[in-house]
Amino acid sequence: MIEFKDVTKYYPNGAIGLDNVSFKIEKGEFVFIVGHSGSGKSTLLKLILHEETPSSGEVYVNEFAIHDMLKSEIPYLRRGLGVVFQDFRLLPNKTVYENVAFAMQIVEAQPKDIRRQVPVALALVGLSKKARSYPNQLSGGEQQRVAVARALVNNPSILIADEPTGNLDPETSWEIMDLIEEINQRGTTVIVATHEKNIVDQMKKRVFNLEYGKITRDVLEGNYTNED
Amino acid sequence: MKIRTMKYMVKEGFANTYKNLLMTIASVSMVVASLLIFGIFLMFTINLSFNLNRLKSQTEIVVFLKSDVAVMEADDIELKIESDERVANYIRLSKEQAFAQLATTYIEDLEIIEGLTPEFLNESFRIHLNNPDDISEFTEELSEMNGVEEISYPMESLNKLSTLMHWVNVGSMVVLALLLIISVSIISNTIKLTVYARRREIGIMKYIGAKDWFIRGPFVIEGMIIGLVGAILSFVLTSYFYNAVSTFVNTNAVEYGLNDLVRMVSLSNIGGQIFLIYSIIGMVMGLIGSFISVRKYLNV
Repeated sequence: MIEFKDVTKYYPNGAIGLDNVSFKIEKGEFVFIVGHSGSGKSTLLKLILHEETPSSGEVYVNEFAIHDMLKSEIPYLRRGLGVVFQDFRLLPNKTVYENVAFAMQIVEAQPKDIRRQVPVALALVGLSKKARSYPNQLSGGEQQRVAVARALVNNPSILIADEPTGNLDPETSWEIMDLIEEINQRGTTVIVATHEKNIVDQMKKRVFNLEYGKITRDVLEGNYTNED
Repeated sequence: MKIRTMKYMVKEGFANTYKNLLMTIASVSMVVASLLIFGIFLMFTINLSFNLNRLKSQTEIVVFLKSDVAVMEADDIELKIESDERVANYIRLSKEQAFAQLATTYIEDLEIIEGLTPEFLNESFRIHLNNPDDISEFTEELSEMNGVEEISYPMESLNKLSTLMHWVNVGSMVVLALLLIISVSIISNTIKLTVYARRREIGIMKYIGAKDWFIRGPFVIEGMIIGLVGAILSFVLTSYFYNAVSTFVNTNAVEYGLNDLVRMVSLSNIGGQIFLIYSIIGMVMGLIGSFISVRKYLNV
């Protein structure tokens, strides 16, 4: 599903993003990636999305080899990945329904598929009643739910969430994490980069700890830190 | 490409131009200004070449025979002219006919030719060729024949006109290139505003897996709208002024002593051609401008 083999990423300014990292994430797994800012979390996610390419080593995501693929294949890689950001990134001039439908329009889905699948995605995140609202009429948690619906509407096999609860209060954060766990239980592989110790400690999932570009810890049913 | 994708792009393209109305107007004005300046050169070239060809086709080659030419030699020359495929038509003027023609020309001032008799004049052939380009070759062949004294035709003025036309062509290409660069940069700046306003949207589209051309489409349409609207406005303005000028020149040429020398092509003959040229240039400007402006944001 996702495999990194001896991956190192240098940036042009000499900064190290990742330093000889290897791991494998199987289909259906739920993985937390934790670490301080600058530890390499973002680099890791960017490599999966082909926003960056590795300086050395091999990266495999679904059927794509990130280190060796054509630029024209990138859209197809990304159609297999759903992405959720800390700042939601909804389009303010489109309604909830339109924001989700937009994700299907730009991959040129059939209009009848759009009409069928958007309501399903909105129902999954519990926002069917807000379909006609605009993002600025929603709470932060609701906006993030729309973002999750948008990430899922094209049925990606992997969901990537970069600090999905970073802008939310604790209670709402839990709602979002419950939603993401539910999605994982339906078979979607989930990768969550986060700073939230509470959440990581309580959910008991696989945890990667990154420090200075290296994976210093990779444990199943782990905690945020080593002190158990 | 799917029809609904086309519809989406056209719709978004129009929305973009409307949202940025002021900048769109500025860009369209620039396209209009460029095309009008280019248009002046274009009209000049078209008319110059039209008149050059007209003059060439009217060009008459006059072959004067020696005054003591033998009848046999003169007949030989006539045979050569008659059988030559390049000749459209010719007249053989005897000394008497030449004298009669002269007398008709000076009918009001007969004293000018007083004392002149046909004997002083030379027999001549007046020749029109099918293709004016054959002139130098044809006259060279004739001049080698016995009995030919002199061949005259207005070569020098034709050559000068040809050279002038060449430079006008070069000039208009240079002007076009300069104006193209200026217009393209202004159009691309306009579209950059739209791209900048929609950079979040573009970023999201990239993450979701939109193809580059799908993202670029609406901006390309925006650029082409700017170019096409500019072309149409320029065409309307050009037509109006050209029509006024050409009608004036063609009706007043005789009055101003230009006689048959200068004529302007009428608008109806070149209107379609001008519109096509304007549209193509306008749309190419828009196309290049939009490509430049989106490129930066596509590299995510």
